[in-house]
Amino acid sequence: MKILIADDSRVMRQIVIRTLRQAGYDDHDIVEAEDGADALAKVGSESPDLILSDWNMPNMTGIECLQALRAQGSAVPFGFVTSEGSAEMREKAANAGALFLIAKPFTEDTFREHLDGVIA
Amino acid sequence: MTSTDTGQRRRGTDVRPVITDLMDEDTILAVAGDAWISLVGEDEVLVPIPGDLPGDVLSSWVDVVGPWTGSVVLTTGRATAEALSRALLRETAPEVLEVEDVEDAFGEIANVVGGSIKAALPGPSGLSLPQVGHAPLVRNPADVCRVEVLWRGEPLTISVQGALPPLPVPSS
Repeated sequence: MKILIADDSRVMRQIVIRTLRQAGYDDHDIVEAEDGADALAKVGSESPDLILSDWNMPNMTGIECLQALRAQGSAVPFGFVTSEGSAEMREKAANAGALFLIAKPFTEDTFREHLDGVIA
Repeated sequence: MTSTDTGQRRRGTDVRPVITDLMDEDTILAVAGDAWISLVGEDEVLVPIPGDLPGDVLSSWVDVVGPWTGSVVLTTGRATAEALSRALLRETAPEVLEVEDVEDAFGEIANVVGGSIKAALPGPSGLSLPQVGHAPLVRNPADVCRVEVLWRGEPLTISVQGALPPLPVPSS
């Protein structure tokens, strides 16, 4: 399975990758994107099976990326990993077609809770 | 239709909460403690003991804009900010840290702490991207909730501070 991780923070991308491994999802290809625009381009070039995206990013936010993907007809599974964990943001994410929203700070248990059944 | 401005409405909208009406130090400590465990490490604790910050400090912060508007500011010694960055990067930390590495890691801690603080405040609110540098000035000393902690024995402060000046005091 190929997982695209979009976050403008390099250190947070590393932490997400590390947490995926700690949660037991350690046998997957990882592709990194540094903002929503980069993620959108890499969906085209890399054909990921799952996107884990931050919300607040320069150039294009995570929700804008998700909306652009759905507008293009892409149904690629999309989940947020973001510090925006309020009920309002969760509702916005779900309405835009996100499968889940993992709020930072997270643990490997949080990852398992949301990703079991999503990651084969 | 015309209406008469009695001043009642204006006074009504002038009621602006200060941060101490909305949260206390324990909330900030709990939020920061969770962020540390998640980002820095399972055994990493923040001890709520004040310490003297060194002369060479670095701050990272995010702005919250909503019913309460202000910043969530972390401040510590530059060397401690670098140690925090190494702790976050772990085995991927380069031998020599670049300024960008510290800005990225220390900024991300402010982002995570700030996001949790924002979630505990009345909404809807917006959250800015993190910034790193000299802390924004305190505009209203009554609109500040601040905790002082030690991480690995080094002092660090977390200040949740309003961005707006105090409201004028009515003359009568």
